[in-house]
Formats: sequence, structure tokens, C-alpha cells
Amino acid sequence: MEPDVILSMRGIEIQFPGVKALDKVDFTLRRGEVHALLGENGAGKSTLIKCLTGVHHMDAGEILLDGAEIRPTTPQHAMEMGISTVFQEINLCPNLTVAENIFVGRQPMRYGQINWKEINRRASELLERFSIQIDVTRPLSYYSTAIQQMVSIARAVDVRAKLLILDEPTSSLDDNEVKRLFKVMRDLRAQGLGIIFITHFLDQVFKISDRITVLRNGRMIGEFDVRQISKLDLVSRMIGKDMNEIFNLKRAEQKRGASVAMSAEHIGIPGKVEDNSFEIKEGELLGFAGLLGSGRTETAEILFGVTKPAHGTVKVKGETVRFNAPLDAINRKLAFCPEDRKKDGVIADLTIRENIALAVQAKRGYLKPLSRKEMDSLADKYIKLLSIATPDADKRVGELSGGNQQKVILARWMATEPDILILDEPTRGIDVGAKAEIQRLMLEMCGGGMAVIFISSELDEIIRCSNRILIMRDGVKAGELPGENCTQPDIMRIIAGEAVESA
Amino acid sequence: MKRRESIFKSKLIWAIIAEILILLVCLLMRPDFFKIEYQPQTHMWYGSLIDIINRSAEITIIAMGMTLVIATGGTDLSVGALVAVAGALALKLLRWDVTVYNTPGDYTVQPFILVLFVPMLVCLAMGMFNGVLIAKFKMQPIIATLVLMVAGRGIAQIATNGKQFTTLYAPFRFIGQGSLLALPMPIIISAVAVLGVSLFTRLTSYGMFIESVGINRNASRVSGIKSDTIILIAYALTGFLSGVAGLIYASRISSCDSNNAGLNYELDAILAVVIGGTNMSGGKFSLAGTVVGSIIIRTITTFVYYFGIVSESIMAFKALIIAVVIVLQSEPVRKWMSSRKNTGADRIGGGVHA
Repeated sequence: MEPDVILSMRGIEIQFPGVKALDKVDFTLRRGEVHALLGENGAGKSTLIKCLTGVHHMDAGEILLDGAEIRPTTPQHAMEMGISTVFQEINLCPNLTVAENIFVGRQPMRYGQINWKEINRRASELLERFSIQIDVTRPLSYYSTAIQQMVSIARAVDVRAKLLILDEPTSSLDDNEVKRLFKVMRDLRAQGLGIIFITHFLDQVFKISDRITVLRNGRMIGEFDVRQISKLDLVSRMIGKDMNEIFNLKRAEQKRGASVAMSAEHIGIPGKVEDNSFEIKEGELLGFAGLLGSGRTETAEILFGVTKPAHGTVKVKGETVRFNAPLDAINRKLAFCPEDRKKDGVIADLTIRENIALAVQAKRGYLKPLSRKEMDSLADKYIKLLSIATPDADKRVGELSGGNQQKVILARWMATEPDILILDEPTRGIDVGAKAEIQRLMLEMCGGGMAVIFISSELDEIIRCSNRILIMRDGVKAGELPGENCTQPDIMRIIAGEAVESA
Repeated sequence: MKRRESIFKSKLIWAIIAEILILLVCLLMRPDFFKIEYQPQTHMWYGSLIDIINRSAEITIIAMGMTLVIATGGTDLSVGALVAVAGALALKLLRWDVTVYNTPGDYTVQPFILVLFVPMLVCLAMGMFNGVLIAKFKMQPIIATLVLMVAGRGIAQIATNGKQFTTLYAPFRFIGQGSLLALPMPIIISAVAVLGVSLFTRLTSYGMFIESVGINRNASRVSGIKSDTIILIAYALTGFLSGVAGLIYASRISSCDSNNAGLNYELDAILAVVIGGTNMSGGKFSLAGTVVGSIIIRTITTFVYYFGIVSESIMAFKALIIAVVIVLQSEPVRKWMSSRKNTGADRIGGGVHA
């Protein structure tokens, strides 16, 4: 083994109910390096970190710290072994002083009392190592987020850390503060500390890290030297290629002279979507591409009235609308299949029949119930139309497979006969067959004159199905491409931010 | 693959078994326990079983609303206090003249219609107050309803100036002491309440919406359900039904009692719902189960009396039996029983809602 390796994780496997969260993942951290851990949401980054810090326990694999095998059982245990973590949200007490925050829980004592002088002196010394000169006796909340971030790093490092994990440390910092943080990181690196850096800002990865490990769907995709990989290559490895190009689907013909179904102008919520504008015509399929967290879902939620925009206007058929709740959007003939099926989609304990009838019933109000007969015919119709695999409509939706659950939600919205359909990752986590069926349905509905907004992380399905593709990056619309003759590298280039605005 | 869940997995079946067991023990101790007699003077059927159902009426009525509240994932602690408020208001209206005449008589000062409707409407408004705090201001149900649980009895005291009025007004006494179709009035009223709430949840989509909101509030909102309104209705209805129960209680004792009327009713009502098989975390509910639960609670009380237990220890004894019933209904016991019945072949369907 190389002598300068601090941490070596080998063949880590973690099984969650129903999914393999980590599948034979290897990870190596050397002394004096900043190692970026990359991957989309759900790729397994945080699971790996939680495994290392004793939050989750691995089912297989081994962790070597300084050559000795360890099995962290709790975060406290991990910290005692020299594994320190700084989380995205600052885990300090804003009402305590800076010095107290650094030493809370391990105050130096003298004559059975806390030695305040000693605490303050040592805290100032510690912060000076980071070239921060502040009054440590002031409450933490007095200082900016960046300083607070540094204080939490100082605290993490002072507990005799061998390696430091920074989980999205820059997401609440501005450019100058990021520079300051990077300086501290470089100093710590020079002192021989190993740093694991998790972020979704690719620019920062290239600025600060030495090596990169990429995870996707719980698997390790590879370990790269930062000087030997291009941003474009990295993005394609994070997203992964789709294998189901076997399906020969044709995008719907865009009718000439179709009127605008919906448009948005500069909509946004600070911190989520900064600025997004587009318009979509009847019978058009508009693809939304971009990394997870780039503001695609948030845009969809604004359009459907799940959240209210802070600025910008939304128009449906030329009329400006302000939705207070999803019901307002439904009444305007919108429909929305949310990204998180479990959280925002299915009502697991209700039957398929009830789940399908839910939105139609909500639209009618509870005083005008659908008769049992109407509900039955609605359920039967869509079970057949979408070939939902179930013996009858009485089955609880929670008992269905992911693909069939997705079809039930699709059925719920098709039953409301919408004019505009927003689909957020409708094909994620479902098997290849169900995926192709959902794409086919989507294109059929489009052919029937429905305007469809299709959000997906899988570029090939976006390219295959869309008439136009809108690409988002960091909450801002980064570009728009026609669906025809568009290639994956075209989109990736915009996602990676290498090309300027096109078409 | 139809639902082939073992009958022993249902909570309701265990409640019914428990009820039968308690009744059998009562029968052993008192051979005439099941005897029901018609008494021509009062035109009423008499008997221990009738008495149990009669005395469970208040809890049954309140628990109808409580079932819906619990199905939303909430709880309502104020029902007992609202029983006191309803009684106090009714007696205040009956005996508006109390400073002048102090002997109770067969008369009412305010129109009888007001005596009936003012308490019910005030309780409805108080239920809506709970609902607004919980649905609009997103307060935790226990905290929100604690407000009226404490304040309610104070309001009742204020309404009656801290006095305990008594009345002999026959129409009012009829509510709790009269009979219709040879059955005590409380039984008739609770039957109407059970039927009314059942029809309301079945004939409208309210039942489906309330389950949907209780199971997954987020998804329900995204599907277009106005979950705030759904929740508000549940609390308003519970308030109203507590008012009805309050009138029955006051009529039974021909009086009002701000301190003791409806005491611990919130606990009995919640218990009735839970014994009936509705989960405290919300979702699927069973009104029929709640009726059984309410009758069980009353049967236990009767049982304890028949045992001749000193009244001070009744609560402890009651709690003991309830604990046994609840343990019988618990997940591990039901699983164990059903695995014995099915030789472990049948596993629970996956993907249970978390």
C-alpha cells in the first residue's frame, strides 16, 4: 500500500430496504490532498460519508484508517478516531461565543472550574492558524456565514483530526467567502490533512481538488486525477449513458401555427431558481435538462402552484395566472407528476382506484363525489390503457412496483384531461420496459395536442422525445436547443458551462 | 390475489373478541346479566346491555368526530371541556332568572330552541377555532387543542358565574332521560350521529380525502386536495358533536357541572378510536370500530362496578383491562397469532407506508 494513504475504503456495500445504496465502492484518501466526491443526488455520496462517520453501518467491505481496520459505530466514535465532518448547515450554537463554540463539550478545566482565559486564548490561537483575527468572546451569530463556517472547520480540525469531510461547505457562501475557505483548505492540505470535499459546483472542484471520485447509482464509476479529466468528460460520467436506445420512438410532429399553451417570464425563488423563462406551444414537448439541483423541479413546482414564485409571471393561454395552490392549476387544466413519487405522488395506503380518482375528485370537490361506478370505469379504463400490472383496482398502491406506481400517478392526471402536463423524472427508478411505455404515452398525448414539459436527467431520452430542449444550470436557464439534430455533447457542454448561450 | 389478509390481523376482530370475553365474565358473575325487560310504565327496555349502550352514548358521539380527527393524523384534547361548555350554556339559558328564583322548576326562561342550538353552535365555533389553529397556523394538534381544554372549563364557569344550576324542564330532561321507540334517547341520538357521520364520509368524498390527507398530506395537496379545509371540517365536526354530547350529559343530571362534566372524555374518546382499529398516525379509519371501542370502554366500567370494586380504584382497574386489550391488538401479537394460523406462509404486503 502507498505510504501516504490515510483512509482506504474497500468494497463498501450498504443495503437499504429495496435498494442497494452502495455497491462495492472503493475510496482512497491520501495525506495532504483535497479529494472531491462527485455524483448526482442519490448517487451515494452522503451514504458513503455516513458510513465513514458511523451513521450508517456497512453490510460488507472494510475501512482502513492509517492502515488499521476501523468500524465506526457512531459519529462520536468516528470523531474520536480523527474523522471530522463539517455539514452543509452549520451545526453550532449561534448564541454562544466563538470560543465556547470551539471548545463546547471539552472545555479546559482548572480547580474544577472552566478556565475561560485558557479557552479564549486557545480559540484565538486556533483561528489565527486560519488567518482569522476576530474577537472570540463575541457570540457566533455576530459574524458572517463564512466566518461561522470557518469556526466550525476550526472546531472540527482541533479535535486532532486526521481527515476532514466538508459536505457542501460552499453552498451558502459568496465568491469572496469561497476564496477564503479555499485558502484555509490549502493551508490544511499543506499541514498534511486529508480533505474530502463534496459539492455540486464543478468549477470549484477543478479549482481546489487534487483527485476526484465519481459515484453513480451507488456504484463507483472511477477515480480521476483532476489534471487528466475534462469537465465535459466528468459530467458525462456523472450522468451516465442510457442503454435503452433500442427503443425506436419518434418525437411528435410539431404542428405549424399552434398557439402558445403556457409561458413563463423570469420566474424564480432566490436560492432555488434564479431566473427561468420559456414558452411552450400546444402539442409541443419541451424537455428540461440539467443536473439535479439545477432548478428544474423548482421551476415545475412554481408552474403548478406548489410553491409561489418570488418574482416573474406565468401565463396560461396568454392569461397571467397566480396559483395559490395546486388546485388552482388543476382548474386551469394543468397536471403535474412530481419527482418524488413516494413523498409527493402516491397515497400508498389507498387503493389503485382511489389513487386514480383522486385528482378528478379534488377538482369536483368533495360534495360531488364520483359514484362507485364512475370510479370503477375510470380505474378500469386506465389500468387497461396504461397496462398497469395488477389483478384488480382494489390493490393498495404501496404494493405496486415503482413503474406501476408511476403509471397510477400518470393515470390520475390523464383522468383530469389536462391541456398542459408537467412530468418530473417520470422514468426514474423504473425498469426499462415501463420506461419505454411511459415515453410512448407521453408522445401520444403530445400528438393529441397536449403541451408536455418533460424533466429528465437522462439526456438520450430527452433528445429522443423533445421538440425543444431547455437547459438549466445553477438555477438559471443556460440555453435552449432544438430537439432535432441535437447531440448529448451539445447539451453537456451547456450543462458544464463551457459554451456560451446558443440558439 | 384478492385481499387475503388473515382475519386475525384486523384490529377490530380483537376488539370484538375482547368485548365478548368481558361480557362472558359478567355473565358468569351475574347470570341475569343479558336479561332485557320491557317496562310498560316508562315504555322502555331495561337491562344491563341497554344500559351499557345508553351510557356509552356521549363517548360514541364524540368519538365519531375524534375518528376523523385522528385519521388526519391529529388529536383533539378539548372535547371534554366542550361538554362542560355546552352544559353550562344550556343551563344558563334555561335558568337565566337564577338570581330571582332559586327553586328549579319545569320551565325555561329562553326559548327552548336557543337552549338546544346555542350550545351546539358555540361548540361548533370552538371546534373551528381548533381547526384554524391546526390547519392554517400549522400548530401541533395537541398544543392547539390544549388551549380550549384548559380555557373551556373557565368559559363554562364564567357562563354560570361559577354556580351549579339545576332544572326540571321536561323537554330538556327528555334528551338524556326520555325514550323513543322504547329505547333511551341517548341511544337514539348516538345512532343518528353514527349514521350521520358515516353517511357524510361515504356519500361525499370526504372519507377518501381525509384518509388521503392523513396518509400523505404533501401528495394530497399536489393532487389538488385542499387539505386545510379537510382538516378544519374534522375539528369543527368534533366540536359540534362534543356540544351534542354535552347536552345529553347535562340532561342526564338535570344540571350543569363545569368541573366534572366530560372529565377525561378526551382520553376515553381517543381510546375508543384506537381500540376500534384506527391508527394514531392517521390514514385509514373505521367508524364501526370506534363504536365497538366506545362500547368496550363502557362495558369495562360496568364490569368493574359489578366486581364490587371500591370506587377509588376503579380507574386503575379499568386501565389494567384496557392495557390488556391494547396489547392483544398490538402489531407483534397480531403478527404472531396470524403466523400461527397461516403457518407463516403469508407475508405482509410490501411497501407499507412509512
